[in-house]
Amino acid sequence: MLRKLLKHEFRATGRIMGPLYLVVLAISLLGNGSVRILQSSNSRTLQILGGIVLFLYGLGVAAVFVMTLVVMVRRFRTNLLGDEGYVMFTLPATVHQHVWSKILVSTVWTIASVAVVCLSMLAITFNVKYVNALFRQMRDLLSQITAYYAINGAAFLAESLLLVFVSCAAGCLMFYAAMAVGHSFAGHKTLLSVVFFFAFFIALQFLGLTSAFSFDGFSFGGAPAVHAFLWLCIGEAAAVAAVFYVVTTQMLKKHLNLE
Amino acid sequence: MAILECRDLTKHFGALSALDRVNLAVEPGRIVGLLGPNGSGKTTLIKLANGLLTPSTGEILIDGEAPGKNSRAKVSYLPDRTCIPTWMTAAQLMDFYSDFYGDFRRTAAEEMLSHLNIQGRQPIKEMSKGTREKVQLIMVMSRAAKLYLLDEPIGGVDPATRDYILTTIITNYNPEAAVLISTHLIADVEKVLDDVIFINQGQLVLQSSVDQIREEKGMSVDALFREVFKC
Repeated sequence: MLRKLLKHEFRATGRIMGPLYLVVLAISLLGNGSVRILQSSNSRTLQILGGIVLFLYGLGVAAVFVMTLVVMVRRFRTNLLGDEGYVMFTLPATVHQHVWSKILVSTVWTIASVAVVCLSMLAITFNVKYVNALFRQMRDLLSQITAYYAINGAAFLAESLLLVFVSCAAGCLMFYAAMAVGHSFAGHKTLLSVVFFFAFFIALQFLGLTSAFSFDGFSFGGAPAVHAFLWLCIGEAAAVAAVFYVVTTQMLKKHLNLE
Repeated sequence: MAILECRDLTKHFGALSALDRVNLAVEPGRIVGLLGPNGSGKTTLIKLANGLLTPSTGEILIDGEAPGKNSRAKVSYLPDRTCIPTWMTAAQLMDFYSDFYGDFRRTAAEEMLSHLNIQGRQPIKEMSKGTREKVQLIMVMSRAAKLYLLDEPIGGVDPATRDYILTTIITNYNPEAAVLISTHLIADVEKVLDDVIFINQGQLVLQSSVDQIREEKGMSVDALFREVFKC
């Protein structure tokens, strides 16, 4: 059932994110030409056009990140807490499957958005030797870190990716929990969702600062400390995600208040 | 075994009691009218049966089990509002129902849509409000469910559409299933009902067969409703 929910969730969100990615990538290719024009041409008209394309590219990149957030929030609100909720919550699926489908799809789009923006930045780079140099420097940096700390490069990469995934999921769940709580009230649902979001945000900041001040560091150094720090971050993000997951699912199970 | 059963079912919203110790049973193969004035608790009862609300006390059972993932595969629910996703086309909506419900009869749905001249590629957001309501009804009635829960299916529509809706229900429901139709427009649905449940201010007033009412009271369901709920 989760597979089917994911399929329809991707279908619903992909119709927005897919074209947006294509537009940004197309503008970045145009931007590649614009950079060349800005560097070589003396024509004022061409320079203005090139500048406009670069400005549009900036807008496109901003739109990708804004829309990733908007789609994540709007999809949860309209699909589960709005009128569509009558259809969704009467499907033969559990609340857990609904929430997981939303988390996984939003996390995938967040990571995809970052990847598309990186790709577009590579595309807009007008000279391919800069791209090669960038990759070479990144590879060198990674090998230097690996050599200096004597860490396991593959494990470091896997842990970093896991941290990104869990952090994305925790971020999505904070929005979901705020909306699930806000919409359980009879009125002012949107306003209360915003209030709960900021309440959760402030509580997290407070807990984060408290834990940062109380952390004395590890008694060991080198590679084990790097891996231990990554796992500590993963653990913290997972704990935050778990709390918001429980809040979200319990509110949807016990206090669902569709209008 | 009853397909829908309520045992001392109670639902409070704060201090307000929406349902108060309701006991009833709906048997398979019957078309039942859930009748009561506005605010009597009809929608609350149907939402509880769908698991969209949880009882305060008591229990509600669908085919012997509490509402949940299993019961939802047996229940086909028409809410009192149009809530199909408007970004989909008619064909995508059928894909959606086919994917989630093993009992969805796509051919029947396509046939009913073609009678309304609705093409598969037509986006739902481009349809009129009335057409969307009909499309939603078609999706609900295209399932070979065990229990149909229809919440105000003829509320707020013109007489011709009422006839279309009732005809669609009568000609498409699974004869072995129970159909629960919630409404306060008694005269329009009376002709299709086998049983009636009268509900008022969250309490069960009467559960009887239509034939029994006619024989024992010597009046139509509509006349009895007017007498029972006289202001």
